[in-house]
Amino acid sequence: PGGGASLRLCSTRVAQEDINKPVIDRIIRVDHAGEFGANRIYAGQMAVLGRSSVGPIIQQMWNQEKDHLKKFNELMVAYRVRPTVLLPFWNVAGFVLGAGSALLGKKGAMACTVAVEESISEHYNNQIRTLIEEDPEKYKELLQVF
Amino acid sequence: VRCQQYPPLRALQASAALRRASDEHKKEPLTSSSQQHFDSPPAGHQPEQEPQGPRPSYTGQGGQESEDYESEEQLQHRILTAALEFVPEHGWTAEAIAEGAKTLGLSVAAAGMFHSDGSELILHFVSECNTKLSELLKKEQKLVQLGEAEKKPIDEFLRDAVEARLRMLIPYIEKWPQALSVLLLPRNIPSSLNLLTSMIDDIWHYAGDQSTDFNWYTRRAVLTGIYNTTELVMMQDSSPGFEDTWRFLENRVADAMTMSNTASQVQSTGEAVVQGLMGAAVTVSN
Repeated sequence: PGGGASLRLCSTRVAQEDINKPVIDRIIRVDHAGEFGANRIYAGQMAVLGRSSVGPIIQQMWNQEKDHLKKFNELMVAYRVRPTVLLPFWNVAGFVLGAGSALLGKKGAMACTVAVEESISEHYNNQIRTLIEEDPEKYKELLQVF
Repeated sequence: VRCQQYPPLRALQASAALRRASDEHKKEPLTSSSQQHFDSPPAGHQPEQEPQGPRPSYTGQGGQESEDYESEEQLQHRILTAALEFVPEHGWTAEAIAEGAKTLGLSVAAAGMFHSDGSELILHFVSECNTKLSELLKKEQKLVQLGEAEKKPIDEFLRDAVEARLRMLIPYIEKWPQALSVLLLPRNIPSSLNLLTSMIDDIWHYAGDQSTDFNWYTRRAVLTGIYNTTELVMMQDSSPGFEDTWRFLENRVADAMTMSNTASQVQSTGEAVVQGLMGAAVTVSN
């Protein structure tokens, strides 16, 4: 991992001086934790329903989440944000939630997914509002990610 | 050369800054001597003239006020920097700060602005060292990016960074144990901890750490441990050029590398074992 890292560092570093660091830190940390948790939920669901008819659908949605997580990993490095301490907890909790809802059947798994996605989009909208209220220009790049 | 075009304005503002700084301790000779400095074109920079140019204040205050106005924070910064010269003799004390104030042409009572245990002086020193380290690491990173230097392997990078940072203590090493104990005072712990963690984070950042999982914490915890223990060893080291300390540092960093290698080996072994068990379970169920 340390091999080609230094070149990436210079291209992904973001100017730290003019942004509201504490707010950005929290936003990225929480979102990263959320995407990480979402990944684990899908992992849990796949573990139970992977070989059923709904397996491919879940796999597809999981792949999308993997993309989101990758994006937040990049943001985390660019803005030099620390990951949340609770990662190991979200790791287990997400998997258990996914597996648990999947054990309730396909409907259960889908209901869980819908609920999670709804609360995530409400959460992201709030964050977008916060950033826009402060200064849309400064945060243009970040807003585009959302 | 720039100064010569606006002497009257700068004379006014400089003496105003001085009057503000040595407010209750204003002495007649002080103000008149500052006037003298402006009548003859200043060849080099006198201490009083330092506030004139755009100051890269680490508090970022320079942008908000006009260039020639010195804030209290900038003044304190200057006094503390000047005081460092006197630390080997007086320790991290109000005496050192008073001597520093004297070299700037200010009254010794300026030391009254600070705590008597030298906390601010020590924190200022640590902050300055950390800034110097960051700049050094940034410069090195630029050289690597331009292809003018080889990218160091991680253990060598960490070793060099910690050594560079610890070498900054050498001129003050006699009085450093005293400083360490002051840094551990409950009142100072938030600031000193903050400075320590941001320095360690900086080192890892320039070492190329891009972890976004719990490794982020383990790596920083390990490096903090290495730094602190090496610092303590350095306090008691009497070998020439501190070679015992650097050897200790090399061994600790090597230990950390071995630990992380072992950890990843354990993990991959564990994964292999789990896969084996799953395979066995599938076989048995069929």
